[in-house]
Amino acid sequence: MATSRSSDIRALLGGGAEEDQVAVSHFLIGAGYLVLGGILALFALLSLRFPDQSPVSFGRIELMSNTALILGFAVTTLTGGIYYALPRLTGARLARVGLARLGLFGLTGLTGLGMLSVAFGYGDGFQPFGIPWWIDIPIALTVFVPALVVFATLANRVEQRSYVTIWFVIGGVVWLPLLYVTSTLASLPFANSLFDAFGGGFLTAGMANLWILTVGMGLFYYSLVKEVGVPLASRQLAAAGFWSLGFAAAWWGAAQFTFGPGPDWVDGVAAAFGLALPIGALANAANYSLTLENSWEKVSEYPGVTSGVIGSYFAVVVGSLAAFGSFPSIASAVSLTSFWEGIEYAALLGLAPMLAAGTVFSAVGRLVGREIPDHQRRVRRFNAMTVVGAGGVLISLVAAGLYSGYSWIGGSNSAAYTDVGEGWAQASGTTVGTLILIAVGFGVVSLLGQFAYAGVVFGTVTTGKSVPQEVLVSRVGDDE
Amino acid sequence: MSDVNSVAEKMGIPADLVSRSADARAAAAGTTSADVLSAWGGGGAVTSAPPEVESTEAPPDEADAPTSSQPEPPAETVVAPPDPAPMPAPIPAPVGEPFVPTTGEPPVLVGVHDNPWSIVTGVIGLFVAVLLLGLVGPSIPVDEPGARTSAVALTEAGLAGRDLYGNLGCAGCHTQMVRPIIADVGIGPVTLSDTNQVLGVRRFGPDLSNIGNRMSGAQMESTISGGAGHPASTLSEGSMDQLVTYLLESAPSGGGS
Repeated sequence: MATSRSSDIRALLGGGAEEDQVAVSHFLIGAGYLVLGGILALFALLSLRFPDQSPVSFGRIELMSNTALILGFAVTTLTGGIYYALPRLTGARLARVGLARLGLFGLTGLTGLGMLSVAFGYGDGFQPFGIPWWIDIPIALTVFVPALVVFATLANRVEQRSYVTIWFVIGGVVWLPLLYVTSTLASLPFANSLFDAFGGGFLTAGMANLWILTVGMGLFYYSLVKEVGVPLASRQLAAAGFWSLGFAAAWWGAAQFTFGPGPDWVDGVAAAFGLALPIGALANAANYSLTLENSWEKVSEYPGVTSGVIGSYFAVVVGSLAAFGSFPSIASAVSLTSFWEGIEYAALLGLAPMLAAGTVFSAVGRLVGREIPDHQRRVRRFNAMTVVGAGGVLISLVAAGLYSGYSWIGGSNSAAYTDVGEGWAQASGTTVGTLILIAVGFGVVSLLGQFAYAGVVFGTVTTGKSVPQEVLVSRVGDDE
Repeated sequence: MSDVNSVAEKMGIPADLVSRSADARAAAAGTTSADVLSAWGGGGAVTSAPPEVESTEAPPDEADAPTSSQPEPPAETVVAPPDPAPMPAPIPAPVGEPFVPTTGEPPVLVGVHDNPWSIVTGVIGLFVAVLLLGLVGPSIPVDEPGARTSAVALTEAGLAGRDLYGNLGCAGCHTQMVRPIIADVGIGPVTLSDTNQVLGVRRFGPDLSNIGNRMSGAQMESTISGGAGHPASTLSEGSMDQLVTYLLESAPSGGGS
């Protein structure tokens, strides 16, 4: 019966304010897409190692995996985090809740449709999603929704002072649609080959830096301080972290075309400006650590805090590797190899879930009035598997990329491979194959971590022990 | 004494949520669920409720933050358990005074007075700068028209084949881009910025920018169908012809390997 089902769903989502139910819906759908994306990422690694055994090519599975992990998980989950934090930081009801709900359903459906279009051979093949332009355009409309909701809410704000999270939220919701629209233009039929290629790199790097890192780290500033109950260490460090992340946005995309057919100045600019990425990540990670200075012994008591802190340092490692690979001398060896695949997998399988967990694990229990069941053990399991799994994939693929890149150089120098362009495998031998196989093993561990994440989210909502629920209330005398 | 259902009906909240919250509230207050339900149902306050169940996080934390004795209006109220008043109506607190901080803890989520719209201006400006440097600038062809071009002459079938190349995800493993560096020696002529091939971003398989000079159509068809360790693609005859035509036409001027 429709009414009772509606009531059941409302109860499952916590029965609190409408905006809180919308936030929980985002968390649940995001967790589902994380698991789906993790499974596809594992298949992608398998198809890379055993290409002739795979029913669908690596080129298509990887695009589907990226779509699930970025649009399905990262965009959805972090948007939920924004809807959770914003009313609490502004003192205003979340505006346009119906639009927020519509945006969630639209993005969820279009993400699935985009993945199916790629699976059935209708994709355009461009990184990171390969979604054809006629699905890209409606997706571009749905990613405007968080911006509309955020700005409508900010317009009604009661709290006139801006906590640092507000900057990161504003940056994320402005950059996301701009990024998507410009990159969609690059995939339209009139675009030239350079625009296609740089557009794909721009979108991939932008999604990682302008959305996942920016919003993930910004929301964690809220969750960390709220959970631990100590003031933020430095607003200035947060500002440095925020603007550096924005500045670093495009460069790991452009760096992959070093010495390519683009203008020569891009190589130098990408190398120099790419340094902003580890600087931005480090500024935020250091700020978290300074905030926790006298509370380290209690960190494990707070769900999500350990995940967020570990995720921030993971970002420093990934950002440093990306900056390293952007220097022309290194890029001449590692561009086009699995080195960059390792960085992208680490961002999607490690960074994104860890930073998202930093907020989601803190928020979901409060929103539904339930405790994360056995939270210390579950969260520890998620952290361990994600760090080991995503870290292992990163190390294996980076090593394989370095080995194959230098093999190409060595082969060309020795004239042993007069036709080196005939194959990556021929030039690199079995060592790279073995490293990819090791990456597959770590991919399995990473997938277990993604199941652990989903277990925390779904387990809390369905079986968590009742605890005081955090409910938004209008202040006495406030108008609607 | 009010039962769960009547309280739920009054509050407009599902009964199981009310029940669960009443249990949690009773445990926190050291009383019974029945008393809590009675209070929520209009039978009086839960007098034994400890203050810890309500806390208010107001901003302030930094330099210009007010002292804790004069906190800013709360941006967030934590109420345990569910606030009986359904949103969005302004609601009186179920018990106590939920809008007054009672924890004695200094507020920690502190901001400063500023204008978020200036942040909007800044992030748009930064995006435009990064866009111009990271996407628009690099995408403008720079090579002067000269003796050589990387634009290959594509027939109608070749153009359709290039679309198929994208549809099938070939660019996930193959580049069509030769760089003037040692690693790319022997692949073919260096790719110039007027190229109309699909550059790609990974080279897990061979570079295909000059494949038309290296393989015959029959060899290509065999490989695409699953030969030489290549993933098998099941294409119709027409599609296979188009893809092979594109690859055969991928032979830029300047010589082979």
